[in-house]
Amino acid sequence: MNAFQNILVFVVVAPAGIFAVFALLWLLGWNPSERLLSGTTGITFSACSAGVAALIWKTSSALSVTATFGSWFAVGTYHFPLVLMVDRLSVPFVALAVVLSGLIGQFSATYLHRESGFLRFFLLLHLFAFGSLLAFAAGSFDLLAAGWEIVGITSVLLIGFFERRPAPVENGLYVFGIYRTCDMGLLVAIFAMHHWAGTASFVAGFPRFTGAQEVIICLLLLFAASGKAAQVPFSGWLPRAMEGPTPSSAIFYGAISIHAGAYLLLRAQPLLAQSVIASCLVILIGAITAIHGTIVGRASADAKTSLAYATLTQVGIVFIEIGLGWRWLAIAHILGNATIRTMQYLRAPSMLHDYHQMHSAIGGELSPTGTQLEEMLPEKVHLWLYRWALDRGHLDTMTERWIIDPLSQLSAYLSRGDQRPSPSPAPIPTGCAAEPSTSGSSQGGN
Amino acid sequence: MIVPEWALHTSFLTSASIAAPWVAAGFLTTLRRQVRTFGCIAALLSILASTGLVWQAPKGESLYETLMLLFSSLTFGAILLLPRRDAEAGVIGGILILLGSTLLAYSTGNLLVLLGAWILSSLPFLWPGWFRSHTWRPAVSLVFSALALAAAIGIIAGSTRVVSIGNLKGQSPGGIAAFALLIVATIFRKGILPFHAWVADAAERGPLVPTALLLNGHLGALLVVKLIVPLFPETDHLFPIVSYFAIATAVFVAVRALAENSPRRLLAFLALSQSACILTGLESRTAEGMTGALVHWVVVTVSTVGLFGILRLLEVRFGENLSASRHLGLAQHAPRLAVSFVILGLALVGLPGTLGFCSQDLLIQGTLTTHPLTGLLLPIATAMNAVSFFRLFTRLFLGKQRTGFTIAADALPRERWVLAGIVLFVVLGGLFPNETVIEHSSGVDVGGTTRRFDDRDIVYSNNSSSPQFRSGEPRLIAAQQVHGSKARIAQSARAPRASTEF
Repeated sequence: MNAFQNILVFVVVAPAGIFAVFALLWLLGWNPSERLLSGTTGITFSACSAGVAALIWKTSSALSVTATFGSWFAVGTYHFPLVLMVDRLSVPFVALAVVLSGLIGQFSATYLHRESGFLRFFLLLHLFAFGSLLAFAAGSFDLLAAGWEIVGITSVLLIGFFERRPAPVENGLYVFGIYRTCDMGLLVAIFAMHHWAGTASFVAGFPRFTGAQEVIICLLLLFAASGKAAQVPFSGWLPRAMEGPTPSSAIFYGAISIHAGAYLLLRAQPLLAQSVIASCLVILIGAITAIHGTIVGRASADAKTSLAYATLTQVGIVFIEIGLGWRWLAIAHILGNATIRTMQYLRAPSMLHDYHQMHSAIGGELSPTGTQLEEMLPEKVHLWLYRWALDRGHLDTMTERWIIDPLSQLSAYLSRGDQRPSPSPAPIPTGCAAEPSTSGSSQGGN
Repeated sequence: MIVPEWALHTSFLTSASIAAPWVAAGFLTTLRRQVRTFGCIAALLSILASTGLVWQAPKGESLYETLMLLFSSLTFGAILLLPRRDAEAGVIGGILILLGSTLLAYSTGNLLVLLGAWILSSLPFLWPGWFRSHTWRPAVSLVFSALALAAAIGIIAGSTRVVSIGNLKGQSPGGIAAFALLIVATIFRKGILPFHAWVADAAERGPLVPTALLLNGHLGALLVVKLIVPLFPETDHLFPIVSYFAIATAVFVAVRALAENSPRRLLAFLALSQSACILTGLESRTAEGMTGALVHWVVVTVSTVGLFGILRLLEVRFGENLSASRHLGLAQHAPRLAVSFVILGLALVGLPGTLGFCSQDLLIQGTLTTHPLTGLLLPIATAMNAVSFFRLFTRLFLGKQRTGFTIAADALPRERWVLAGIVLFVVLGGLFPNETVIEHSSGVDVGGTTRRFDDRDIVYSNNSSSPQFRSGEPRLIAAQQVHGSKARIAQSARAPRASTEF
């Protein structure tokens, strides 16, 4: 391997190495200090940033840097290719992930100082950085899916970061359900690629498919991308994800995770360009999401949710750009949106203070954008839209009524077939159940 | 120190791995002190002997030896993980009997010995006083599975006068009746729909850790690998029925688990749903599906033993009325148990970076090739299992500020080392799957798909759309393995049925 290939491997693997070392030592009983953690994080991402700078320099002159390690595992005719690749599409995303992860790490060292989950946050930040870098630097959809899922699980675990309150935890579970459902699209698309073309690698160009196969694969990828990018009808999870700590909201839902869906579509652009149906669907979903985001965002009462919907609106527009084939505009849009949203999220806890300063400076209040469009609508439509926006487009209600409730009822119905033969134990009194017992028996069992 | 030659002989090592736990179990009937140490030593001897067997087996042909090593290692870990209140002579004795009989089932090539091992492994669960289990469904299912197997073996032995599995290969001994009885035995033992309820009952009302070991012996799947597939190639058109039952179980139980609030039952459903996927892979008859099934076997075994063990530790610390109907916030007191729990659970449902990801990938890839519908239903079942597991995790460990004055212990050192070992296995296995698991359980040839069942290879043609395959007659090709390489040499093109005895 040449120097650039080594650099690429280092950039992707370094956060995973830090995660693995600290996690294993903690599991065996060691608790690292905050200073050590934040210092290690700073050094790691600084080194990775230097590496990314070298990769940017290299990809400006060469088409791509590729590091091939054969197969992760191989059985029969099937093999899981282990190929890392950065090209002019992925290198901006890699750079974004590395730089923002480092910045968030430094910000969080102060922001989460003496927080009980300090170590957990940093471990998950490293794991997330690894997952996103793996997804962006993957040379095949197989490896991309691995990184994709790691991003998903770290996202969910960070939504439930404040684990002593039920709301964040329940919201994390909801997001996990949406992620797992939509990830099936990516997995099935990959299996379909293997089935029809024998590979899901895109290092040497896309494999050839028939027209119908292209449409099916594109629709499956769009399903996965829509889930990750919170596009309609999956937008309901985004405000729920705001329960996590602000730094994680900034990097996940302002910058990296929310744009991962757009990256997937950009990566699949050669396929998408062949399928008019899929392209039109991408544009349609993007347009609906942009309108949904801007309307619901106007009725949001808290800063982070407003920002989330503002991000969503922009991501919807990015989808439109991708559907239209404006690839480089989409990339520039993503970079700009991700950077500004990260900054806004990080400033969100001080938003009132910032607004007061701005109002003092201009000698009045800032006028909200888009009021001229609102005024064009009749009063009745205003009211209807307001109620619609307050319930966030009824997306959560529909999900609960049409998916969660029927599944729960079906599950309860099926439970009749395996009811216990003897009566159930008495119900546990609420509030005191499973509290640590003060009796010696439950303590001394070990 | 020079090890004498007889000590490295395969038969000695096999006998030692089986006899050590049985002898120890015999001693435990009179011994009342240091029972955990005694059990650990016996399991350790089994591990050493199994390691010797794996070491001696030719590369790529150590499937059963690897399973023996895996099961004895897990038993060792389970004995260490047992809380003090459960570490009684009877419980550990029962676990050792289960260990010895499961290893015997893995290693034997004789039908009658297999039947004996099958019955012996169920014995501690049939005797109500042994594990203080008072449910009828597990006992009835285990008895029915044993009866079905006994009847099948009776028919086979009666019609052929042969009890050596090696000599019966490809002969369809006993015909459709024996085949059907073997399927029935598998269905009962594995808890395949509609006989799935006993698994949840056994987990809920029985001893948690021994039940986990009973379920994870996977003797039902062993029956498919050891008898059904190699002995009955003529009935291969009936094999998809097993696959359909298995995928129906996986989906049904996954839906069923969504609303379950008892942690024991929920974990049992997850284990059952995931282990049902093993059968779909075995039936797929592709190298990917079969290797995926065997790797999944390992993942399910390791993960569920760890999960059941952690649940038992939580019950001992926080009371046995744990429920997933509300948040309990136990991670506040037991963060390491929480982390181990979530890693093992996510490995069970295919988190990337763990061995579960590889097994799911191979399983779905293999089943999609032969049964697209099954291949599509597998990720759906897995996704539902993932949601159920995550709900259990969040309800048990998160979501509540605990205000009790007593601080419960997190993982004790012995528990911590065992859990760290299990977690490391699923993670390192996921990072280096070829080196850790796949090489021990897969065989690939240039001419087709091969799976080593016992001492010969059975190769199914890649050309699955060929008229021969469609008509239900798989191509049986004797394959000679080239050591350390993916390449194998197919010795003959297509053998008639009479020549399946190579």
